[in-house]
Amino acid sequence: MIEVLDPTTEAATQTIAYSPRPTALQGKRVALIQNTKFNSDRLLEKIGDILKAEYGVSEWRMYNKHNASVPAHAEIIEEVKKSADVMVAGIGD
Amino acid sequence: MAATLTSKRFTARDEADAIEMAFDKGWSDGLPVVPPTEARVRAMLEAVRLEPNHQVGFVAHRAVSITAEKVAINAVMAGCRPEYMPVVVAAVEGIADPRWSYHGPGTSTGGAGVLMIVNGPITRELDINAGDNLFGPGWRSNLTIGRAVRLVMRNVCGSLPGLLDRGTLGHPGKLSYVIAENEAESPWTPLHVERGFRPEQSAVTVIAANGPHQFYNQLSNTAEGVLTTVADDMRISGSVMGQPTYVVVLAGEHMKTIAADGWDKKRIRQFLFEKTHNSYAHLKRTQRMSGEIAPADEQKMRPLVAAPDDILVVAAGGRAGAFSCYIPGWGSAKSSQAVTKEVKR
Repeated sequence: MIEVLDPTTEAATQTIAYSPRPTALQGKRVALIQNTKFNSDRLLEKIGDILKAEYGVSEWRMYNKHNASVPAHAEIIEEVKKSADVMVAGIGD
Repeated sequence: MAATLTSKRFTARDEADAIEMAFDKGWSDGLPVVPPTEARVRAMLEAVRLEPNHQVGFVAHRAVSITAEKVAINAVMAGCRPEYMPVVVAAVEGIADPRWSYHGPGTSTGGAGVLMIVNGPITRELDINAGDNLFGPGWRSNLTIGRAVRLVMRNVCGSLPGLLDRGTLGHPGKLSYVIAENEAESPWTPLHVERGFRPEQSAVTVIAANGPHQFYNQLSNTAEGVLTTVADDMRISGSVMGQPTYVVVLAGEHMKTIAADGWDKKRIRQFLFEKTHNSYAHLKRTQRMSGEIAPADEQKMRPLVAAPDDILVVAAGGRAGAFSCYIPGWGSAKSSQAVTKEVKR
């Protein structure tokens, strides 16, 4: 018999506190996080307009990341905390 | 007493069974691995005099701590000799560096490999190939050092093909992509010295990169002639619009031709920078840049890279043959920079 060692990292558990989800979007302010890829602004604009027209959000504002490969930078997070209730972020190619 | 190795342990009937187990558990890149027994892992750690729990790197994007123990286990599996371990450790430090920005090149559909260029005395000591068949088979150090880094990415950082490694095509360099600079024959300043190290230090430069593109020029006996050919090949390559890092690898014949005209690496970079601009009109016509073509777009030019220093020039490859190559970096230099780390011994 031989014994071998596990090359993978065992997942460390941590608790993440999620913000409470809103039950409705009526009157909420929406932040759209743009990853800067081509057409991502147009897609998010469309999403923002639908949220306004069909779900009654009060306004949307778009924020641009430094580039598609990094998380949203601190200024975006700070600004969104102050000026939005809900954010839409995602990535797709 | 030596520090305890804390990784989970599995038993196998014999070596052959352990090799199969690595496949079954998803630990392998698709090739058989060397079973990581405690004795083999300890030999790796002793070669770098690191405690098992020493943090070699922390990938903030993944909240993953890469310990020396895990690097050692994966280096054993890759087939490294213990004396290769300092290079593996330096390369892992490189890809965990925030400037390399792991999440992009580690995950992207763009399918980056980790090109590792090794400089300094360790390249001779470990027989890291800088000559014939540069990117091909035949050298244990070239093939296992890069493989170890990729296994760390897979097993520790979670870059599993189809899951958190979403490369659309990938390329063979994702198995191992290690070269040394041919400092013994090069007339130029070695890459690591250009990047702030002393010649007697050893260092590894990691670059998120596509595959090598070979070019051919058997006609010209001038620096300008050879470099005009590579510039013409490079001009439309890689992501074109991204302005990534580029590596230009000049092999024996071209190296001698260019050096005979007295050109240094700085002049090569400047020439290639200037000769790889594209007109806005061409970029729009070929659907790489959005928008309608305006009359002024025929004269308006966009450089392939943001600055001449984003072209890394390396002397390497066989002595015979009028071939050299260029390697487009992944994405953009803003998203992932080339990072050089000292190989500590």
